[in-house]
Amino acid sequence: MKRSTFFAFAAPSIILMVLLMVVPLLISGWLSTQFLTFQTMKDGPQFVGTEHYVTILSDPRFWQSFRFTAAYTFITVPVRFFIGFVIALMLDQLTKTTRGVYLSIFLLPFIVVPVVGTLMFKQLFEPQGPIYYMLRQYFSYKLLYNEFIVKTLIIVHGVWYVTPYVIVTYFAGLQTLPKQLMEAASIDGATFMQKIRHIVVPHLSSLTVLIALISLMDSYRVFDSVFVLTERMNPIYKADTVMTYTFQTAVTLQRLGKSNAMALLTVVGIMIVLIPNLIMSYREQIEER
Amino acid sequence: MERINNPIARLFVYLGLTLFAVYSIIPFVWTALQSFKNFKDANSRTPKFIFEPTWDNYAELWLRSIPENGAMISYFIIAILLVLVCLLLFVEYIPVKSSYIYWFCAASFALLLWGIPQYVDVNKFYDYFINTVIVTVGTVVISISVGCLAGYSLSRYTGMAAVVVLISALAFRALPRLAFILPYYWIATALDLLDTRLLVIIVLVAVNQPFTIWMLRSFFMDIPKDLEESAMVDGANRLVAFWKVIIPIMWPGIISTALFSLLLSYNEFLLVRLLTVNNWTLPVAMSPYLGGEDPRHLMIAAAASVSATVPIVVVILLFQKHLVKGLAAGAVKG
Repeated sequence: MKRSTFFAFAAPSIILMVLLMVVPLLISGWLSTQFLTFQTMKDGPQFVGTEHYVTILSDPRFWQSFRFTAAYTFITVPVRFFIGFVIALMLDQLTKTTRGVYLSIFLLPFIVVPVVGTLMFKQLFEPQGPIYYMLRQYFSYKLLYNEFIVKTLIIVHGVWYVTPYVIVTYFAGLQTLPKQLMEAASIDGATFMQKIRHIVVPHLSSLTVLIALISLMDSYRVFDSVFVLTERMNPIYKADTVMTYTFQTAVTLQRLGKSNAMALLTVVGIMIVLIPNLIMSYREQIEER
Repeated sequence: MERINNPIARLFVYLGLTLFAVYSIIPFVWTALQSFKNFKDANSRTPKFIFEPTWDNYAELWLRSIPENGAMISYFIIAILLVLVCLLLFVEYIPVKSSYIYWFCAASFALLLWGIPQYVDVNKFYDYFINTVIVTVGTVVISISVGCLAGYSLSRYTGMAAVVVLISALAFRALPRLAFILPYYWIATALDLLDTRLLVIIVLVAVNQPFTIWMLRSFFMDIPKDLEESAMVDGANRLVAFWKVIIPIMWPGIISTALFSLLLSYNEFLLVRLLTVNNWTLPVAMSPYLGGEDPRHLMIAAAASVSATVPIVVVILLFQKHLVKGLAAGAVKG
């Protein structure tokens, strides 16, 4: 394909992405050096320079939210992978029809709207819900809804709604296992665990790296579920993630410039995670040529 | 992997899977139960699993006043929907061209949506539902048609420009929505587009575009180049070859991608919440019930959650094959 034809075909998409992603990002960078609220939007912003960045980086609440986001990411991602791998192996043992039934049930938390799914998840822990009732038998009211419980809830929910994605991708990966290798291993008398250790895990490793990176980035910018879960029970805002704190700065406190600066700091954080991934796909693309 | 024959191990497999299935499904079951309870049952101190079901919560959510022949109208609507779902389920076995059936179903669904408010006094939630349908359909149609052209050219062009586009798309996919949202808000206020469906559609198309082109490109890569090249030797230009030769065999890939695009736009909360004032979509329509100050909200929130989930589950069940295939393709190929 010629270069001009490529640009003719890809033009609508490229223009769209430049206009609605590159340009807003630049505006966002500019706004992060301005003081702006929803009220002063008509009058225009005021220049404050790097003040926002200084206040954010010395704001203990920002660092607290950052720490919680990091904890959320480093707990949920490995747990999702472990559970996802085990369940995918189990699914692989079933016949095709039973597998379909289980798979449809497992996919439910993944396809439901995140806000709605979280709302449903939360219903279990409402004072009228069954899990609250069970917990109530062992703990006093004060022990429920403390910082630890709310954070645990957010993490359990984080595992609940992303694990299906890991299950399906691992399951698809298991279908591409080289048959000869497995048969050779059986003939040589390898046990089930040995096969998993020496054939299945290495076979799935590149897939794991890929979905781990995606999962890492998605956990870093988690918003919907934490927003819903902390709307009512957020003890002294200790369960904020970076994104919910940014949202509050923008909507509740109306510090639009500051929230922009915060979002850009998140962009920088995500980029640090993302760059290995970008280099990897860049090499892949170059090889494919 | 080969099958394990040890009966105890097999029992353990089924036990593990069933436990995980319970973990996955229990919030849905409980919410569905809550949505059919009356105030007393929903707020009882010990959770009730046996109670007298009622449709009141749904009526309160969807209707402003209950029509006299409400039961008949709702049976009529449910019957039409069932017929449409059956038509879509068994589309392969009906001896009519399948595209005609799809168009017929889409047209009758649109007619139904338009017709209901003429006979029934509907609540705001119905408007949100209509908004959601318009926004998601608009987003899917635009993002797929723009994305198909880009995805095709990205799969065929081997120059550096394609690599740059692909890598930057991957970077955009990872960025948080909040980094874009205030510029959008700012521009939208300046252009007086705030709170319009058009704005929401454009923004959602842009946000979904990186994902769409990557996925479509991976499907286009599977189609051999010889196909359109032989058509071009026969005198067709590239656009004609693309339209007449490539698109007809791309349908499964397009449906998979469209399904994901639909999920992404149906699920979007943050962007729609900040860019609209009254023209909400369903996820945003949940926000009045997030606070939970009013105990009555509990059942209404449950009813709203179920109402927002059922349409998407029906769509997914109709196209489940494509969803699983798309998930696998997206991850295995990158």
